[in-house]
Amino acid sequence: MTNTKELSHLVKTALADFKRNKVRTFLTSLGIMVGVMSVCLLIALGLGLKNYIEGQFESMGANLIMILPGSGFTGEGGGGFGGGGTVGGVSFDERDINTLKRISEIDYVVPLFMKGVFVESGAEKKYASIMGVSEDGFKLMNIEAEYGKLFDKSDNQSAAKVAVLGNTMATELFDDPVNAVGKTVRFENLRFKVVGVAKKKGDREQDNGINIPYKATFGSLNPDKTFWAIYLGVKSDDMVTIAKQKAETALLKRYAEEDFAVTEQAELLETVNQIFSIINTVLIAIGSISLFVGGIGIMNIMYATVTERIKEVGIRRAIGATQKDILLQFLTESVLLSLMGGLTGLILAIIIVLIVRFFFPASINLISVVIALVISTGIGIFFGVFPARRAAKLPPIEAIRHD
Amino acid sequence: MIKLDNVSKTFYLGDEKVSAVKNVSLHIKSQEYVSILGTSGSGKSTLMYLIGLLDQPTNGKVFINSQDVSTLSDNELSVIRGQTIGFVFQSFNLINRFTVLENILLPTRYHKGKLDFDPNKRAEDILNKFGISDRRNFFPNKISGGQQQRVAIARALIMNPKIILADEPTGNLDSKTGDEILDLLESLNKDFKVTVVIVTHDKEVGKRTKRQIYVKDGQIVKKY
Repeated sequence: MTNTKELSHLVKTALADFKRNKVRTFLTSLGIMVGVMSVCLLIALGLGLKNYIEGQFESMGANLIMILPGSGFTGEGGGGFGGGGTVGGVSFDERDINTLKRISEIDYVVPLFMKGVFVESGAEKKYASIMGVSEDGFKLMNIEAEYGKLFDKSDNQSAAKVAVLGNTMATELFDDPVNAVGKTVRFENLRFKVVGVAKKKGDREQDNGINIPYKATFGSLNPDKTFWAIYLGVKSDDMVTIAKQKAETALLKRYAEEDFAVTEQAELLETVNQIFSIINTVLIAIGSISLFVGGIGIMNIMYATVTERIKEVGIRRAIGATQKDILLQFLTESVLLSLMGGLTGLILAIIIVLIVRFFFPASINLISVVIALVISTGIGIFFGVFPARRAAKLPPIEAIRHD
Repeated sequence: MIKLDNVSKTFYLGDEKVSAVKNVSLHIKSQEYVSILGTSGSGKSTLMYLIGLLDQPTNGKVFINSQDVSTLSDNELSVIRGQTIGFVFQSFNLINRFTVLENILLPTRYHKGKLDFDPNKRAEDILNKFGISDRRNFFPNKISGGQQQRVAIARALIMNPKIILADEPTGNLDSKTGDEILDLLESLNKDFKVTVVIVTHDKEVGKRTKRQIYVKDGQIVKKY
């Protein structure tokens, strides 16, 4: 009974049984369905979150150093990319910029001012992040103009009221990004002329943001003339460590050690990776519990099925079925039961991911599919083998006499 | 074909020791048509299960085709049951989830290796011969008792067995249908050269066989 023809017969028979007991089959596979669905979703969301963050970092150069207030990403009390002014520690100012510019390994210094505002253009009103940066910020974040131009050094020096719109923001405000150039956007009672629209980056923060010269923020937007963070572009990759040390030493003359954090891109990525692998492990553990409970459900129903079919086992033994044949029969049933739950769970997870995708870059990959199939087959075998063995070990004489 | 050598079977019902079969020796030759007669509780059914290899004796030896089956594994016993022996039961014992044709073909699914016949063709032949070919796609609970017993006999016959063991084959049937089933079993013995053993309490049924073996209190009391 081990060839494909016989296996297909076993499968066909089992499926016919499921069809006869639709409600019972559905309820039994529900546990596995929920379990597989949650594991797949958790992987999809975890992966999406990780890709999202990595994408954000990778859109910037590898020779990037970030100076953040507080203890940064690597310890408690740290920031994250929130709006400006919401994190602990110091606020940086132009004096810091000039200090840092003196470090020879550093190519450029980009201050970052961030503020969430409502931007208006004609009748449109959108929420956007204003990012006050220097012209070098475009280099740092690999931003290029799709229409118009980026603002330059003289725009910054003269604190020109000019703006470079993120691609999505331009579309939302002006329908087509090409229309945006030359128009005016208003926020916080200020008027800025749109000089350019950036190419789409696939980075939400940038695509929905508005870049303006940092000197243009001085005034009502930024009365203290401070910055939330400072980004440093290092001349080459092998200078990152020394540049980091020098920046630290320079800033320590002014600030206490706990008031700021100097972090390089690689460190940051590693921290994020660590955090997500912990989150993933926890989430998968939660999924595993529902799978375990689902497996118990299958075991339970398979014991019931075996008890229902004791007579049938006797008949089959009488006409030549071996213990292995009986074992395979029940095992096929439990594996199929579990696999059906797993596949349904997978399909549901895919549907949910497709919906979630509108808001968040979650993704189902091949690994999720393989994991779903392997897990549900494994559960079917593991929890099915005990009832199946019981059926196989029934003495033929007792089974056939059973009523 | 079938030889029992001083066979006993004892089991326990709670603390009580029951000797269902006591020191029975008997020999049934190839192509014989025999009945084992006895009242309820005489041990005739236990005797049939021992011959059918569904049960093992406590003492003594059972030979099928001169093979001492006490030395065989569960696996090997299953193979002999599948290939050499066909069972017919009082309550038909068909699987109600399967159609008539599927029930008849079931033993062929447990045959390891290649069959020396085309199972579908053989099933068709038997269905035709038994006059139930129009019932092939019916489920067993949708056909009459007589038809169900024909299906059961067809299933017993599909693997071309040497022995057919029938346990009260007419017990659930009216006398006319019962006679037809006995005719069928007799023709198997005659036309298919199968050794047929009928276990029954009914002397009228026993009379139709060529030899009767009477069992009482687990022992053979009279042989013809």
